Amino acid sequence: MCNKLAILFVAGVAALCAQDVPLDPYNSVKINLPADSPLTLISANLGESHASARGSAVVLDLNMALTLRNSSQSRVRGVTLLVAAQEVTPGGKASVTVPSLDVAPGQNFPVRIDLRLLRPGQVGGGPLVQVNLDGVLFQDLSFYGPNRLDSRRSMTAWEMEAQRDRKYFKAVLATHGPEGLKQAMLESIARQSERPSLDVQVSRGGRAVTSAAVPEHRAQFAFLRFPDAPVEPVDGWAEIAGNEARNPRIDVRNRSSEQVLHVEIGWIVTDRQGTQYMAASLPNAEPKLYLPPGSSGRVVQDTALSFSKNRGEPVPIAGMTGFVSQVEFADGKIWIPNREALAGARLLGILAPSPEEQRLTDLYRKKGPKALVDELSKF
Amino acid sequence: MTHPSQSTLALYAGKDLGWFAGRLAERHVARCRECRQAVEAFAGLHDDLVGFVAVPAVSWSRLAAEMKANIRLGLAAGECVRGESSVAPLAWISGMRAAMACAGMVVLVAAGLLLDRSTPPAPRVPVGKDESMVLRATASGVELNQGGQSMSLLHVRAAQGPGGQLDVTYSAGAQGSMRARYVDLDTGYVTINNVYVQ
Repeated sequence: MCNKLAILFVAGVAALCAQDVPLDPYNSVKINLPADSPLTLISANLGESHASARGSAVVLDLNMALTLRNSSQSRVRGVTLLVAAQEVTPGGKASVTVPSLDVAPGQNFPVRIDLRLLRPGQVGGGPLVQVNLDGVLFQDLSFYGPNRLDSRRSMTAWEMEAQRDRKYFKAVLATHGPEGLKQAMLESIARQSERPSLDVQVSRGGRAVTSAAVPEHRAQFAFLRFPDAPVEPVDGWAEIAGNEARNPRIDVRNRSSEQVLHVEIGWIVTDRQGTQYMAASLPNAEPKLYLPPGSSGRVVQDTALSFSKNRGEPVPIAGMTGFVSQVEFADGKIWIPNREALAGARLLGILAPSPEEQRLTDLYRKKGPKALVDELSKF
Repeated sequence: MTHPSQSTLALYAGKDLGWFAGRLAERHVARCRECRQAVEAFAGLHDDLVGFVAVPAVSWSRLAAEMKANIRLGLAAGECVRGESSVAPLAWISGMRAAMACAGMVVLVAAGLLLDRSTPPAPRVPVGKDESMVLRATASGVELNQGGQSMSLLHVRAAQGPGGQLDVTYSAGAQGSMRARYVDLDTGYVTINNVYVQ
């Protein structure tokens, strides 16, 4: 009798435990690199990646390590991979970008994919996860890839920020020596740790419930204007209720002599104590804006953002500020604010550092000033 | 060369192996003198045993019926001698078995429910645009939230900052995305993970 009970019990536990299974490295994940891809897959290690059944859904915990080889003749500066379990399912798609690379032709480099994706359990056969190459950015800012995620623009902007920030730190080194560079690093580290941050909640279309009882009103944006910006913000507003802002609209004017395809606005919110926080980036809703020289257009997003801190304490919005943070021209060139403009507008303490500045400060913290000087001398 | 076990050879000798195992053993025995001798020995022993156990034919069903009748007779006689008390323990044992079986099922179901409750609740998987779907960036990561249920979307492998928290920069995209940027512990590269509402 006891034996029968034990067998039944073990069978029940085994059935429940079977919901969490490691991914089969041969059939669960498919890594698609086109035949003419400048990158070659050398190895793919699924590590402890596993799938768990949760009701009607399958949760995929990915902890993958890919090794890729630069098979092209140019140095690679950035890579974006689209990782999808089910593209039309919320939580079913993600991307991994590695900017600030410097991979020589023929050199191998690692890319880690550490994500959690969701997919319906009823979907039929085929691999559970597909990893596709969305884009590769080279040293000369040329690009390869389908660019479905607009990774060309993102990676080009990050590369330009990298060039800008390396130039700044190299200038500090040339002017003030290693001690001056050390001081600049310490200031950057202090800015990063003291930068005020908010918990931000984004929902598309609707209104979050946190402040639904608070009356809504239309609030105007204030703008920071950079003298060399090719696009200037003219007017803008959003609906505000308590700690929630929704449906931002910003009118912009192209004051350059080139056609503009994309404008991204940095969105800063101010709380009642006067503290400013970087809330979100606000790109134009349409894939491309097509703004001829001298013409005006509108950056629109049907979205709702709510802000809180300290694990849920709402942060009422007392003011909003916008600035043009990125412009893409028809020829693929990108404009970003220069460092002096950011410092002059006191944005360095509000914005996140560029990926390159983050990498350089991390290198300084872990390996010291000599390693940083050696790294800067490579470029 | 790997020889078949003694039991296999014995079964082969008695022609009691299955077809496939029999063919394998036959093939081996044809080539191996040692095993052939063992098979011959088993076959000889088998013939001897047939002689030893040869008994008149038995009607097994008749024997079973007689045994059953004898047991019933014994139980009835015992009841006459001891009254009802001798039967009661048997009834109790029978009830106990049923009770234990039921208890076992209850334990199994309870354990299943307990284990099921210890796992996170099942997130709903809507397809297409859903206005109640929310992405939330907090100091501890990016969550997908719907109807009060949430699920973390990232496994950040970043170093700890001065405050003890992971050194990660989160940023929201008003178009419905969240971005986590960190220096990966293993690769040393800045890694940017982007997740989307849809």
